[in-house]
Amino acid sequence: MGKKRLRKIRNRNNDTKKKVQVSPQEIVPKDIRRTKQDNVFLEFYDKNYKMLLIIPFVILILALGQIAFQTITTGEFISRGVSLTGGITVTIPTDKTFDTANLKTQLLNQMPGRDIEIRVLKSAGTQTAVIIESDISDIENTNEFVDLVEKETGISQDDYNLDVMGSSLGESFFKEIMFALVIAFIFMGVVVFLYFRTLVPSAAVILAAFSDMVVTVAVVNIMEIKLSTAGIAAFLMLIGYSIDTDILLSTRLLKRKDGTVFERVIQSAKTGLTMNFSTMSAIIVILIFSNSEVLTQIMTILLIGLTIDIINTWIQNVGILRLYLERKKSE
Amino acid sequence: MNKFKKIFTNFRMIILMILLVLMVISIHPDPYNDGVAIRTVLKNSSAAISQINTPLPTDKPMLREVIFEIDGKSVQSVEDYNQLTANLEVGDIVNIRTRSSYKYTGNERQFSFKKQINKYSLTVRPEYKYTVLNETEEVIVPKIISVNKTINGTNVTINETINETVLRNKIKSEIIGTQDLGLKVYPAPKTNIKKGLDLQGGTRVLLEPEEKVSDEDLEIIMDNLKRRLNIYGLSDILVRKQKDLSGNLFLLIEVAGANEDEVKNLIAGQGKFEAKIGNDTVFRGGDDIKFVCRSADCSYAVDPRRPCSKGSDGQWHCSFQFSITLSPTAAQNQADLTKELKLVTENGQEYLKKSLDLYLDDELVDTLRIGADLKGRPITDIAISGGGSGETQQDAITDSANGMKKLQTVLITGSLPVKLNVVKIDTVSPTLGEEFVKNIIFVGLLALFVVSIVVVVRYRDVKIAIPMLITMGSEILLLLGFASLIGWNLDLAAIAGILIAVGTGVDDQIVIVDEIKERKSSSLLNWKQRIKRAFFIIMAAYFTTVVAMLPLWSAGAGLVRGFAITTIVGVSFGVFVTRPAFAAIMEILIKE
Repeated sequence: MGKKRLRKIRNRNNDTKKKVQVSPQEIVPKDIRRTKQDNVFLEFYDKNYKMLLIIPFVILILALGQIAFQTITTGEFISRGVSLTGGITVTIPTDKTFDTANLKTQLLNQMPGRDIEIRVLKSAGTQTAVIIESDISDIENTNEFVDLVEKETGISQDDYNLDVMGSSLGESFFKEIMFALVIAFIFMGVVVFLYFRTLVPSAAVILAAFSDMVVTVAVVNIMEIKLSTAGIAAFLMLIGYSIDTDILLSTRLLKRKDGTVFERVIQSAKTGLTMNFSTMSAIIVILIFSNSEVLTQIMTILLIGLTIDIINTWIQNVGILRLYLERKKSE
Repeated sequence: MNKFKKIFTNFRMIILMILLVLMVISIHPDPYNDGVAIRTVLKNSSAAISQINTPLPTDKPMLREVIFEIDGKSVQSVEDYNQLTANLEVGDIVNIRTRSSYKYTGNERQFSFKKQINKYSLTVRPEYKYTVLNETEEVIVPKIISVNKTINGTNVTINETINETVLRNKIKSEIIGTQDLGLKVYPAPKTNIKKGLDLQGGTRVLLEPEEKVSDEDLEIIMDNLKRRLNIYGLSDILVRKQKDLSGNLFLLIEVAGANEDEVKNLIAGQGKFEAKIGNDTVFRGGDDIKFVCRSADCSYAVDPRRPCSKGSDGQWHCSFQFSITLSPTAAQNQADLTKELKLVTENGQEYLKKSLDLYLDDELVDTLRIGADLKGRPITDIAISGGGSGETQQDAITDSANGMKKLQTVLITGSLPVKLNVVKIDTVSPTLGEEFVKNIIFVGLLALFVVSIVVVVRYRDVKIAIPMLITMGSEILLLLGFASLIGWNLDLAAIAGILIAVGTGVDDQIVIVDEIKERKSSSLLNWKQRIKRAFFIIMAAYFTTVVAMLPLWSAGAGLVRGFAITTIVGVSFGVFVTRPAFAAIMEILIKE
């Protein structure tokens, strides 16, 4: 009966509208309309929340496995780009197509033994820049490399961006930010605990945020993205974004009394998914149209993270909280 | 209509509107500020001679003097400027008209609300090439010396000007071209928002001292670097000390509008310090000076052997002294050069006839007398002394101490306490920066548009979508205004911070709307309680974001500090200003 008030997620509304219009339920306010399809889906979601819990945990375990595998094979749990290991990045904004393979051979011929990579940056389908990276991190030798690139590509000093990261700084930067990330995570956990003052729900929020991070790292690894300094910032942004929906859910479930638990879950999901979709649509737009590598990486990582957050909030966190509330009730 | 009145008389809205007005004033947008702004005026250039002033580094962008006309032709861009100042010949007069909000009266600036027009006439000067010839000539130069005299039984030091005959090599000068006008310009800013390197082009260098240094030493290094960069006429520079979580110290130097080579040379170059006797260099900064004493046991602001005294002119005079250590080569050099010099006796003290002149980057910064005991002897430890004066004894001591510090700084300039290693360099080309700005504005607007579409689709209600859009816009405006108010550089990290602040802002507004709307029918709660509930969630999200950003303050040599600051400031503005206002609008618009 309470379920009658459930409104399905709006963007699926259109195809079902006609059916509703001919039904005798016409007098029912728009908000309360629902269809069989929805019913089945929501009923499944309602009844099988314990079983559904398997999904996020399987994903989490797979992700941990991927990270372990990555650590064993490469020695690092995430692959770092030159801005974190030390090296040089030359960004040449141009829509001219270079023969990148040829350029790479040319550069390698003159700088044997170096690691050189050339990538093309695209925005809205068109090439906006060519990025040349190398592991040369001793500042003295960078001039030689830059001169060579200038010669081979025929560009002049004011036409490109240059970023040189010393290897020791890259190393310490990575360590420091990782440390900061751990501290940030602990701080966040403390705030969550102080807010809810109950162990299980706080732990569930922290677990959800943790799973978001771990799974995102694994996906980043699988997609062979090389993490840059900006990418680390993205992980920090992710803490903030992923926690928003978890707090919303926990507050509505623990501190409110109106309606059944499942109704409150659905209410929260509507709000939370709207939040996720608005953020994700903005991210996709930036991803498509931005011409900055930095923003592209930040947005890619955020998009992965937010997608995973949907599973971790609405299946994992919901499942744990419902189990907790049930147990509390039976006590 | 009534609702509009209600919205605009709401206390929270009034706070938001007042802040918005303040921020717009702080941003000071002026789309008609055409021309090129003066970044730097080089020393001794035609521009400097005709009284064009270098802006202060702390000046807000809109305060910069803007050139809008050269020889009656309008200047719209840097290309225009370059074109109009190309092909000048020696003796040409260039008439420049500028706009500025201040005028110099002596050393004081007087600000005016209305922009005033200034006219300058610059004469193009020849560029000389100097050759030192082997022939010598005698020249008479005026010189101020300190003399100890006994007046009325007290021993005092007074300054006397004497004419000294100096033998020096003849110098041949020939004109080899025209000298640069001495102006460095960039497109005139249209707002007070300071664009960081990522947006306007320039070079950022992170330096790490090779070994651990004390904070005091680092201050000296920073003083020296600033001095060095200033000498080269770079005014848009930022030199900042940064400490990471493990306690390592770094120096961050940002130079706007300069490329990598220029900055690297300035920093890597040892800074030309020379000590000369006549025209001969005795020692140079760097390897020649091994040690400059700054501790209490070998440097005295008041020389214990020559206490402060009051002169006949009513002024107090004090002398300072400190020791330096020269390399053996420099000491030998000194011995060779002083071997032949004559002695003069002044107030019972014997000095060499010529004095030791200290030059920093070819500018004479001090002249020291050389004691007779140094003549022809290769001594590595030498004492350097000078003096200060003032109305009271205390003033004289302070003046003397300052003089000593300045001289010590000069001497160390060439020999920085430790070697600095370049650990990171970024260079952004100015044209690319400009393109990036255009792109980011376009992408930003597009993202706002898409978010508002999502909101309209979800709520089917413009009464919700429009206030949301306005709130997002206000948040961006507040952040930009705040940035220009405190003069922080807007770079990529800060832009990422703005994105996260606006993003969480949208999330929070959705929470508010849902709390208000969804429960309208069922809940017994009144409006205040609903808003309170929404803010319970919002505050939790706020605190977690803020604490998550705090460790970034110093982690990783502070490279991500801009991101942390912008995010914290942005979400704080959101939670304390825009969100309460948004809730108020919602309450008025939706409440039936």
